[in-house]
Order: sequence, then C-alpha cells, then structure tokens
Amino acid sequence: MNEPTTIKIEKRPEEPSRTPREWIRKNLFSNIPNTILTLIFGAISIYAIRALLGFILSGERRWGAVATNMRLLMAQGYPADQFVRVWFTLGCLMALSGLSLAAWRASGRLSVKKISIWTMNLGGGLAIFAVLAPISWASRLGWIIAGMLFVLVGLSMWFGLRDSEKRLSGSVPTVWFTYGILGVLVLSLWTVPYGHYAFVDGELIAETGRTVAMSTKLPFTVMWLILVGSYLIGTQVRDWIPSGKAKGVLVGLWFLSPFILNWIVLRDPDFDYAHIASTDIPLALMFAIGGGLALYLLSKPDLGEIGRIVAIGFLIFAVFNWVAAFFGWYPMLQKVRISFVLLALAALIAPNFAADKRTRLRFAASWIGLIAVSHWLITAINSPSTLKLQGPTYLGGFSLTLFVAVLTLLLSFPLGVLLALGRTSSMPIARVLSTAYIESIRGVPLITILFFFSNILPLFLPEGMEIAELAAIVTGYTLFSAAYLAENVRGGLQSVMRGQYEAADAIGLTTSQRTGFIVIPQALRVSIPPLVGQAIGVFKETSLVAIVGAFDLLRIAAYVVPAQTEFLGVKREGLLLISVIYFIVAFSMSKYSQKLEERVGLGER
Amino acid sequence: MSEETAHKTRSDMIVCENVDKWFGDFQALKGVTATIAEQEVVVVLGPSGSGKSTWIRCINRLEAHQKGTIVVDGVELTNDLRNIEKIRSEVGMVFQQFNLFPHLTVLDNVTLAPKWVRKMPKTEAENKAKDLLEMVGIPEQAAKYPGQLSGGQQQRVAIARALAMEPRIMLFDEPTSALDPEMIKEVLDVMRDLALGGMTMMVVTHEMGFAKEVADRVIFMESGEIVEEGTPEHFFTNPTEDRTKLFLSQIL
Repeated sequence: MNEPTTIKIEKRPEEPSRTPREWIRKNLFSNIPNTILTLIFGAISIYAIRALLGFILSGERRWGAVATNMRLLMAQGYPADQFVRVWFTLGCLMALSGLSLAAWRASGRLSVKKISIWTMNLGGGLAIFAVLAPISWASRLGWIIAGMLFVLVGLSMWFGLRDSEKRLSGSVPTVWFTYGILGVLVLSLWTVPYGHYAFVDGELIAETGRTVAMSTKLPFTVMWLILVGSYLIGTQVRDWIPSGKAKGVLVGLWFLSPFILNWIVLRDPDFDYAHIASTDIPLALMFAIGGGLALYLLSKPDLGEIGRIVAIGFLIFAVFNWVAAFFGWYPMLQKVRISFVLLALAALIAPNFAADKRTRLRFAASWIGLIAVSHWLITAINSPSTLKLQGPTYLGGFSLTLFVAVLTLLLSFPLGVLLALGRTSSMPIARVLSTAYIESIRGVPLITILFFFSNILPLFLPEGMEIAELAAIVTGYTLFSAAYLAENVRGGLQSVMRGQYEAADAIGLTTSQRTGFIVIPQALRVSIPPLVGQAIGVFKETSLVAIVGAFDLLRIAAYVVPAQTEFLGVKREGLLLISVIYFIVAFSMSKYSQKLEERVGLGER
Repeated sequence: MSEETAHKTRSDMIVCENVDKWFGDFQALKGVTATIAEQEVVVVLGPSGSGKSTWIRCINRLEAHQKGTIVVDGVELTNDLRNIEKIRSEVGMVFQQFNLFPHLTVLDNVTLAPKWVRKMPKTEAENKAKDLLEMVGIPEQAAKYPGQLSGGQQQRVAIARALAMEPRIMLFDEPTSALDPEMIKEVLDVMRDLALGGMTMMVVTHEMGFAKEVADRVIFMESGEIVEEGTPEHFFTNPTEDRTKLFLSQIL
C-alpha cells in the first residue's frame, strides 16, 4: 500500500560545449552591428599592440638604463655594504607569508583545465606578439615556434589528462602552483643576465659583464627557499598549535612588521645606552607599573561612574600636554605625552574588561606589552641611524613608495573609522568637529597639504620640536587619506539597519560594545569595495610626494636616471617600467579585494 | 493574610501610568495605564497603527515616552543611562524582523551579551547557549550564520538570544508577522513553552489562537488608547466595547 517513494536524483546535464567557431559566431558576429563593432575594436587593438611593441622593441630604446638602475629604482641610496639588511627584511616578510599561508590553510586549487587554457592562451599571445612585433623574420619564426610549443603543451594537457568520461577534472594546489612559477623566475636569474651595474667608490655606474642577476640570484634563491620552507614548517606544526592563537600571533606580527622592520632593521638605530639606562628604562617601567595598576583598578566591576570620570580626566590631561607642547609652556618628553594619550584611551575602554580577576590581569598585562613595544619603537625612532647615507633618507624608490603607502594606510584607517563614527554620532561636538575636519580636508588638494606639512608646518612648531621630512609627509598624507576613508566608512555605517542597533540595545550592550561588535564589523564589510579603491588610490598617489622633494619611484625614473651621464635624457623606459610596477601592485590589491568580498559573503549572508 | 502572600509572590513587574508618547505632532500613546504581574502572559491586540508596538518598545526604552511613568521591576524608566542599562539586561525582546547579527554565527549571536554584559566566562556562556538552542529545537545550527537559516529558525535563535541574558520579562513585538505560514507554529510552540515555564510575557501579535490558548489577559488598543482588557474568554466571546466588536468582526 504505502510504497516508499524512491527519489531519483538526476545529475544536472552537462552544458553542451560549443566549438570555438560557434562561440565566435555567437559572441562576435551575431548580427551586423556586432560584426562592425568587432571589426573596429579588432583593428584598434591590433594597431595599439603594434604601436606598443614598436615602442618597446625600437632600436632607440635603451633598456639598459632601467636594468642598470634597478637597484636605484628599488632602494635608492641604501648603502651597498649594508644591503644584507634589505634582504633580511624581505626574508622576514617571506617567512611571515609562508607561515600565514599554512596557518590560514590556503586550500585553493587550480583546475588543470584552467592551467591548460592559460598555457594555450600564452602560446597564442606569443604568436600574436611575433606577428605584430617589428622584428626580423628569423626571430619572428622563433617566437611563433615558442608559441606553438606552449599551445602544444596546453593541448596535450587538455587531451592527455581527460578521464574516462572525457572530462578534464584534475587540479593542483594554488600555493604550489605559485611557488613553482616563482621558482622558475628565480631559476632564470641564474641563466639570464637581466642587468648590468657596478659600484665604484660607492657611486653607481654602468658596467658590462657584471649583472644584477649575478648579485641578486643568490639572495632571491634564499628568499624563495625561506618562503617555501616556512610554508612546509607551518603545515607540519599547525596541527599541534591552537589555530586561533597562531593566527592571532601572526596578525600581530604583520601589524608590527612595518614598524620593526623599517625602524629597527633597515634604519639600524644607534642607541645611546647611557641615556637608555638613565631615562628610557625608568620611564617605561614607571608607565608599565603605574599604568598597569591604574588600569587594574579602573576595571573593577562595581566602580561605576567614577571610572569614567577618571578616564575623562586622564584624557583631558593627555590632550592638555599636547596643547602645552604647541605653545611651549613646559618641556616634556614626546614619549611621555604619547604614553599619557595611550593610558587615557586604555582607561576609557577599561569598563569593558570589568570582570573576574583573570580578565583584569590580562588587560593590565596587555598594557605592559603595549608600553614595552611603543617605548622601544619610540626610542629606536628617536636614535640616529648608523647607516652612512648618500641622500636625505635611507629609503628611496620603490621602498619609499611602499613605506609611505603602508604607513599611511595603517595610520589613516583607525583615524578614518573614528572620524566616521564622530560624524554619525549623536554628540553634537564630535559631529561638528568631525564634519568640519572632513569637509575642510576634502576641500584642499593633496599637493597643498603635502607642501604645507613639508615646508610650512616646521615654521609653526614650537622650539625644540622637530619633524623629519618623511614624518611630515606621512602625517600630512595620513590626515588627508583619513578624511576620504571616513566618508567611505560612513557609507557603510548608514547601511547598517536600525534594527541592528535596536537588537544590540535590547540585549543590553553598551554604546561602545554596540559600536565595536555590531555596527563597525557590518559597516566595514559593506565598505570593502570603496575602501580597497581608496587603498589603491593611496598607493598610486604616493607619486605626488616627488613634488615635495622625496625620492620615490616616480622621481627616480623621471628625474634621477635621465640625469646620469651614462643615460642622459633616457626617461620613457623608466616611466613604462614603473607604470608596470604600479599596475601589478594595484591589480593584486584589486584581485585580493574580490577574494575578500567572496569570503565575507557580501550580499549572501 | 492570604491575599498579602499572593501579592508578595506575584508582584507587579510592569506598571504604566498615563503614558503619553508623541512622534512629532502625532500622539501615538494616549494615557496608557496598565499593570502586568509576575508570570502573567498578556497579549496586546489592535489594528495596525494603534500604538501597540510603540507601547511595547517604550517598556525597554527603545522609544522614550514623554509623559507619565513606566516602572519595570521596581526601576523607573527615566533618562538615567544606568537605569536603562539595568532594565535592558532584565527585559528580553524579540522583534518582527528577527534582527539577528548577520556577521556572527548563531552561537556568537547567543553568547555575545552574556559574555560582554554579564561577564560570563566563555565556556559557561557557550554551554548555556547550547542548552538554549536545544530548548528552542535547533541545537544543530549553532555554527551556521543567520542568513543560512529559515525565518522560523532565525526567530527561534532570536528568542534564545534574548533568553541568554536570563531576563525576568520577555517582550514579543509581532514575532510571527514576518514568517511564512508553515513556520509560525514552530515559533508559537516555543513561546507557549516559555509561558508555561512561568515567564512574564507581553506579546503583540495577530495570532488569535495563541491569544485564546496562552494569554492570561488580552488588552485591546486602538488609536493609542487601551479600549478594553480582560480574560480571553471575556474578550473573544463577550466584548463590551463597540470598537472591540468591530475589530473582532473584521478579523475572525
């Protein structure tokens, strides 16, 4: 009677695969307007590729200018005998990358189908290049044969690896695929002479015979080994360590690395140990112990209003110290001023840690850690460098570009979020101040701000307070970028539904808890696309610092290299190269943001 | 004597006296006066725009009233922030649109407030959350995100989230109005269990069946006023006011 109904699960039918000819007819020549468009754009792109290849391969181009000056473009002015510091920095970043890939269990896989298509495309591209490039027939033939080889490899993958149902289904881990590509690139350093350079009495001159590849092939090989090795080590130990803690440590290291690698490793501070023993260590101890005790007391559960009043008192005192510094009322170490601000901020969030003894102790311990790191850094920043510099800074070229971009982004992010919160808050003073700040910064061009900070600001500073050129630039750029960032975040804040605020209120969260746990995470998630857009903008517009006299990538390519007697007036090659560098970095950021959007499930959850 | 002990065991949880509330020039509540005792289940009925949601939202101060007094569990609602925080941690609320936090897992939704408001250790909060999810019948969904659940499951998570704070009063603001018909029952079942367990509840709903079966008292509102109140039997079988009769004739 009651027959159990068997549910037949049908497989989704395979999409009928179209032959290339059908695909072309459907997408490129489906009707007359489409055919006309295809022809016009085909002609334009053939012309553009021809022109570009003609430019690159023209006999007038002197690519030696770029190859010779590669070190100048990457790290202008860094003393040649201290270059091991640069490699150490890169090595640390490689190790962090490898460990992070292991800790986050990078599990992406590239299908063989995709790799095969890429290989065939590469071959096709080479063939097109060979046909369009203004080169001799003999070398043209060589390139076409190379292209055909790639197509052949792709085709043999396509047909050789199919399973019994004629489907191509294998895949390889993306991580290992990337390592392989990088490995091939590093290997090529050992065989292809990419550039020529030499130092004579510390001055860079061109010299045939010796190559940059020769001087960097060993370090780059070591870098590759560190990357792969740390990944392997990470995959081995990741099952033994609690993953949450490992990730936390790695995130902390990533955030600290720009500061430590830049100011400790690259800059190598010349510590004055007598001063450190007499002043710096006692100060740090005072803040660590006194502040830790104060915070432990302030996080007492039943403290109530007194805690907030004390915290606000701290804040007023901390801000007053800066005002006093500006008018020169009383001297105080910058470090002390900064520490008081940190203490005030910690005191403000202390009620969130008002719980059992363990939580409170952990809170006080984090404070001591913060003091240790910040005091160490400030001392390192304030000490003179041991490097014998050729220019105004030890950074130049791509390293300066990266430094300004990374530091600006790191610093302007929290400031921007605070400004956005201020602008949307219900407190009139915060709202008016943030709005005034954002609107006035947005009304001024970036160049004006950079000029103001590098030239005019030092005149306003009180006696005894100095600001280094680079610090001035980063400060100005940070203040500028924070205003724009704030507007992007505000867009996200407005997208958070009113019901979310009500639900957070209804379960009894305080305003700061509601903001931190509910509102900001959702707002940032929505603002990922504009925020990444802005990060890309910040990276590209670092080129403006060339105008106020910093030797960034653009300035070296456009003004330094063409001024060398060897390469007088050779400008276009460098400009094309740095465009490619800017493009690669910006494009990777854009790609990463797409991945990030997918992962947080924008528009799904 | 016996009356006094009865009074002690069933004290007044919510006392509203002449509560007035305006949105701009529009008066949403007009002299609302009512008392809700401990363990009492009160269902508030009324046509849309009658002020029933506004009233319930005034009780945990999601809306501020302008005149009159509201006393919840002995604490008067004023602009004093500490009173509001105290009351909100004792009054749970369930919304029509669930308002779960979409970026947190179900478990994190439920444990957030106990961990940060009640300062409960993590493991204890999680064990409690799992018990509550068991109670509302979805223990297996703890690791999922709200967007992966059905409407009925989401609303049950919302109930668990409110209960995690161990409230003494639960407010329900049209908890089933945004649900597909086949999911209404699973939410009402949870609410019924809660009522039987002795929770003080105030429910704004259009589910007449729930009102008849579970409510101790029904309050009928229209145009911001309480028109009639009484036991479900009285209300559904023998209403005295014309406006109540009209309302019942329209919906039944």
